[in-house]
Amino acid sequence: MLRQLLFRNQDKKQLIIAIVGSFLGITFLITSIHYLIKVNEFGKGTEILGPNTLIVQKKVNAGAIMGLAKTDFSDSEIEKMKKERFISDVKPVISNNFDVSFQTDDPHVPYFRSDVFIQTVDPQFLDVKSDKWKWKEGDTVVPIILPRDFIVMLNTFMSASGIPQVSDELAKEIRFKFTIKNEERKEFIAAKNIGFTNEVASILVPQSFMEYGNKNFALGADKKITQIMIAGKESEFGLVEEYLVKHGLESKNSQMVVGKLKSIVSTLIVVILGISIIAVFVSCLVLIQYLQLLMSKNAYEVRTLIRIGYPPHSIVKTFFVYFLKIFGVITLSGFAVFFVFKFFLDNILIAGGLAISSTVSLYSIIALVVAYCIFAWASYSTAKRGVMKEHSA
Amino acid sequence: MKISLNKVMPIPLASINHGANSIWGNEVELLPGKKIMLNAASGKGKSTFTYTTTGLRNDYSGAILYDDRDVKTFSVEEWTTIRQTKISTVFQDLQLFPTLTVKENLLLKNKLTSVFSESELKEKLDQLGIADKWEQRCGLLSMGQQQRVAIIRALAQPFEWLIMDEPFSHLDEANTQLCLAMINKRADELNAGFVLTSLGDDHAFQYDYTLNL
Repeated sequence: MLRQLLFRNQDKKQLIIAIVGSFLGITFLITSIHYLIKVNEFGKGTEILGPNTLIVQKKVNAGAIMGLAKTDFSDSEIEKMKKERFISDVKPVISNNFDVSFQTDDPHVPYFRSDVFIQTVDPQFLDVKSDKWKWKEGDTVVPIILPRDFIVMLNTFMSASGIPQVSDELAKEIRFKFTIKNEERKEFIAAKNIGFTNEVASILVPQSFMEYGNKNFALGADKKITQIMIAGKESEFGLVEEYLVKHGLESKNSQMVVGKLKSIVSTLIVVILGISIIAVFVSCLVLIQYLQLLMSKNAYEVRTLIRIGYPPHSIVKTFFVYFLKIFGVITLSGFAVFFVFKFFLDNILIAGGLAISSTVSLYSIIALVVAYCIFAWASYSTAKRGVMKEHSA
Repeated sequence: MKISLNKVMPIPLASINHGANSIWGNEVELLPGKKIMLNAASGKGKSTFTYTTTGLRNDYSGAILYDDRDVKTFSVEEWTTIRQTKISTVFQDLQLFPTLTVKENLLLKNKLTSVFSESELKEKLDQLGIADKWEQRCGLLSMGQQQRVAIIRALAQPFEWLIMDEPFSHLDEANTQLCLAMINKRADELNAGFVLTSLGDDHAFQYDYTLNL
């Protein structure tokens, strides 16, 4: 009966406008947060190099060929790069300065042996667990990260030999062996593959292993740093690319394309997210304003109810619960429509070759809960203020 | 519950000359269970008395005490309890909900303490000659009919005091007597007192004492 008294004679037009506005805002808010997270997660797990990471070298031009231009990086050049606001870190890629060959050492795969080129990078650029990525002098097995092209090549080789091809997971079980040597001695060390990279053409090894090889099997003077790793800041790959072009640097094209695409898409989604937040904020304001209007229309009823003995908190609760239910319906509807959007958008992305994870981003749900809590708080405090005003009237 | 007025002077009435026996500016006690008539001419503060003694107005000097406690110190929750169980009021402007029916107006109040059943409420309307208005919206009733609904609503709770501000102003003498008899009976049942403000007419009722403004 209390509800009947307080919500009779409402002007529903304003309420409907506010509900539609909130519904659209909430729907786009969840959708944009979800895809912002998913786009930034894109590629994670399949690539062992950390996100937004580039391997960069100086462009080889005629000057370099004739020995007039440097192709290596000095310490000051690296330090200068670190100071750029769109670059979060820069580290050199260290190469082997000793002879090293790599071979299969497994009865299940055909024998294969080749002189190889190995490199090491700072572990912070790698998306691997630190306990897997360590080696110390005396250890019999060294963890390695293989270029994915190596598996393609191995599978081609195995297929030609009539042996079943191996998956990424199976390839991690194949036993390999390094032979490192100089003119005086030779050493064999077993190698275990823990992951793959599309971005590095060489075999990656832990820094300690490279230091051990370079110290004990060095062929001459230290090798110069000709490649560096750059970690760009989220959504600022455009600036990184601009910097590379300006300074005569180059990177593997696919890394740049993915990074740049992610930056563009992220920026677009951030814009949509911003608009969604404003839409949610404005429509919530309209809803709260509607509550204020409703309360001022019901000032006499509220005042009289208090005078005949109704507890103010029960009147506050009546208004509060009513608006909580409205926003609950808005939130649930927004969430349901998000799933419809998601179904179509995911299909479009899959059709375009971008298989992003189909799970709902936790942040979307958190955003929804936060929006709901903020609205609940705003409607409660508005209702309380309105009722208490009539209590003291 | 004893209600004491210690030199209470409503600020809007401070400039008016009040008689030596006026409750304004003097020490007055409303003793529990007493039936009191508050006699005054128009503009002397009968409604102000209703509002100040029930805690709805605080613009006065002096102090109003319920059992020796200043009403200005009561919390929101305490006032809710007082209005549900200790003091009931019939306002001069009645303060019914015009968009609700008589039934809804009465049940809305009655459900707070559930002192009467629906049939008892109907019976009370019948006693006052308006049983046929049960399903009618209050806004459509005459002022006299609305006054009777407001009186029954005020009785639909436990109380120690019933404060009534010119509750019979739109009623003929026969209906006034019916209402007064019902109020008196209910007050006796509850061992409660009442204050009835009037323009001078005592409706031939034997009050315990009379106060003036």
